[in-house]
Amino acid sequence: MKVRVTNIQRFSLQDGPGIRTTVFLKGCSICCPWCANPENIKYEIQGEFGYDIELDELEKEILKDEKFYKSGGGVTFSGGEPLLQFDKLEPLLKRLKQQNINICIETALFVPTSLLEIALKYVDEFIVDIKILDNSEAKKVLNGDIELYYKNIKKLFEQKHNITFRIPVTKEYTLQEHNKKRILDLLEKYKPQQVEIFKLHRLAESKYKTLKKNLIEFKEVTYDDMENFLKEIKNVKINAKICKI
Amino acid sequence: MNKIIELINKIINKSEKLSNFTVIVYKYNRKYRNMTKTILFALKGIFKFYMPSTKLSKGMQIRKIFQKLKIKRNSDRFIYYLDPLKILNIKNFEIENTTIDYEIGLEKSLEEMQKENENMKDGEYKENQKQLLLGIEELIEKEKKIAPNEQVANNLENIKNKKADGFQEALQRILFYNQIVWQTGHHLNGLGRLDKILDKYYKKDIKENKITKEEARSLINEFMKLLHENFWFKSNALLGDTGQVIILGGKEPNGEYFCNDLTYMFIEETEKLQLPDPKVLLRVAKNMPRELMETSVKCIKTGIGCPLFSNDEVVIPQLINFGYDEKDAYSYVTAACWEPLITGKSFDQNNMKTIVFLKPFTEMLNKENLEEIKNQEQLMEKYKTYLEKYIDEFFAELDARKFETDPVMSLFIPHCNQVEIDVTEGGAIYNNYGATSVSLANTVNSIININKFVFQDKKYTLSELNELRKNNFENNENIQLKDQGIRYGKDDDKVLEITNMITKWVDEMLENKTNRIGGKLKFGLSAPSYIDESKDFEASLDGRKKGDAFIVHISSDITSNPYTELIQFASKIDYSGNRFNGNVIDFMVTPSFMENNFEKFTDFLILSIDVGFFQMQMNVVSSETLIKAKEHPEEFPNLIVRVWGFSAYFNDLPEEYKNVLIERALKNEGKSY
Ligand code: SF4
Repeated sequence: MKVRVTNIQRFSLQDGPGIRTTVFLKGCSICCPWCANPENIKYEIQGEFGYDIELDELEKEILKDEKFYKSGGGVTFSGGEPLLQFDKLEPLLKRLKQQNINICIETALFVPTSLLEIALKYVDEFIVDIKILDNSEAKKVLNGDIELYYKNIKKLFEQKHNITFRIPVTKEYTLQEHNKKRILDLLEKYKPQQVEIFKLHRLAESKYKTLKKNLIEFKEVTYDDMENFLKEIKNVKINAKICKI
Repeated sequence: MNKIIELINKIINKSEKLSNFTVIVYKYNRKYRNMTKTILFALKGIFKFYMPSTKLSKGMQIRKIFQKLKIKRNSDRFIYYLDPLKILNIKNFEIENTTIDYEIGLEKSLEEMQKENENMKDGEYKENQKQLLLGIEELIEKEKKIAPNEQVANNLENIKNKKADGFQEALQRILFYNQIVWQTGHHLNGLGRLDKILDKYYKKDIKENKITKEEARSLINEFMKLLHENFWFKSNALLGDTGQVIILGGKEPNGEYFCNDLTYMFIEETEKLQLPDPKVLLRVAKNMPRELMETSVKCIKTGIGCPLFSNDEVVIPQLINFGYDEKDAYSYVTAACWEPLITGKSFDQNNMKTIVFLKPFTEMLNKENLEEIKNQEQLMEKYKTYLEKYIDEFFAELDARKFETDPVMSLFIPHCNQVEIDVTEGGAIYNNYGATSVSLANTVNSIININKFVFQDKKYTLSELNELRKNNFENNENIQLKDQGIRYGKDDDKVLEITNMITKWVDEMLENKTNRIGGKLKFGLSAPSYIDESKDFEASLDGRKKGDAFIVHISSDITSNPYTELIQFASKIDYSGNRFNGNVIDFMVTPSFMENNFEKFTDFLILSIDVGFFQMQMNVVSSETLIKAKEHPEEFPNLIVRVWGFSAYFNDLPEEYKNVLIERALKNEGKSY
């Protein structure tokens, strides 16, 4: 069995607890205008971006840094939307679990719930994005079905507790009052273990060029904007921090 | 004008005194960084310059030097002074890159040493030692006269007839003998396991309320400052290359990890002082306290380039396996940079010359009929024959070296005094030679490329590829010799197989070779000469162009190679046999990365010990800072970087060293020039 990846990044320190190996799976169910991994949106192989790897091979790669996982680390499946390939990945997830490898995913949760159910069997740490929560805006900007997202969130929190939310901060979307309110309501309702907010960056610009796409300019988010937002989150009694990339 | 210079050169070459003086003037020029000042100094200095006649016995020459020394007071708590204008005339190789056993100086009074000397049989050895000891006695008297207070005077007086007692006194005694080692023409002098050596003096003083912890710290601070003071004089090839390394921590034979208050203090004072030298090396082990690693990371984070880590879990078994006594192996220090050394028992000259792996490889490419080489096996066989010839000549050259008789070094090796044989003539217990090595990475990458482009893909014949190389790849930059997925520094079976195969050959080639005094030749995979040796070196098939630097120590030229990958790679290199003569991983880290990931980075270092690296050092600096500092040196007077085994001011480095660092920093950050 094979899965499609763009990169396997060892010594990842930003994608979950401890020292990790992050596997970037290709293909996404939505399309964020600020996406930092534009090469992972389409499932199709695009020139230098993407290759198929046998699960055995992937397992070997993941286990290479096993000794460093004692730091509380493990493997993180990111993307794209990693859940999209979780049916194919399941045999490997099972084997990793047997070997006590900590498994984390970074997901936007815009996926059929059946895929999330696979993850619930194996995944230890969930990092879930909060992007745009307004129904029509989510459809328009992300091409995502927000009802599906809410349904998955509910399902997830019924079974798991160690969940981190990640919020990309934009003036255009996140910080819009109506959206912010929805975010704060969501946080208050589910009380995640942790929230990380981060500013957008333009590190992927050269990838956009290679893909012959344009990376949109967003309004400058200031230090104060970030601090204020952080305060508002903390006000609903959630453990939150600003994440530096 | 040229004629005049020629004439001056002629006179200088004729007169040994003048040519030796010129070396000193050159060093002063490094100090002043100002030609006029240097010339003015030279005009005055020539009258103070003294070099005893080599017709005198070595011991007498040293004694004469001590008699002529002009000692100045430069501290309220210690006397430590070097007089660059009084030097020995050294015609052969001088012992260097070593550390004397300071414990001997602390435990034995001069009187005891003199008594031992009286009981020796008459002869050159006894006479040299006798004069040396008399010289030391006279030097003590001289220094006592300028002592700033009674305590310092007593500390000096006690050298004559007492063991050291007390922390400050012990430090003074180390400085005293260290001064003697430098003053007698030795270069690259380490300081040994100071936390361990000083442990009992410190504890006793604390217990008896003679000093507080803070006073001890302040003494250490001053001690380090004094050692640094003459670094322009002490430096070897490059400013900062003094070999003044302080060894800290370490695994004990019973498996416990040794460290104490002093271990922390030395690291913390290094962080505070922000001087490129003396530098600290921390011997690490699996069961070391996390707090000590955190203290080290805090220090490294400042960019000072140390502590360097030496992994006892890997180093000690290799030392024992090679033949060092177990107890000795556990007490190892290192020669100036990384090369493990047993003090008090060794003549071991660990840093004599550099094996350039690419030399025999390039010779093969230039001389062989390359069409006859059909596969990797044949290629490796051919290389082996060239390498063998190279190693034979290499060894013969080292074995032919003549060393200066060395009463000072012999004094600190009890075995020399027992058998009454000078250290350079086999008086020590261990008599090994050591080599460093460079360009193994470039050679391995060349082999991988040949394999891929010639034998596998058949894109070129080997001679075609070699022609491109000879043309320095002009107009063929697109053949992507540097872009192959597998390369030195990748945790890949194939890369490791080639790497270990080549070093194993050398190990076997050296197996039956012994030097004139019964020692072996050891080697390691790190070397200072990645720039010097590569300057005029032809292009190589790893994609390196003519004159470009070789790959540094155990590192990778892959863009953004993950640190864990490099550590795993280095940990799978075979260091057994005689392959343990310093094997340091070297990588770049940006300050912000370390700052943002302090805890995880500490975890990473601790876990790396178990993975099994040999030694490790890093440069914490961003490409941005380096580029700015290169353009505007005046804005970065205190920027310190790690160079090979030492740290130096960035501004003091020759341009090519700056460029290599910038290029490596960019690669680490995933950027290009
Ligand atoms: S969910 Fe992630 S990968 Fe998918 S488009 Fe959005 S940012 Fe990109």
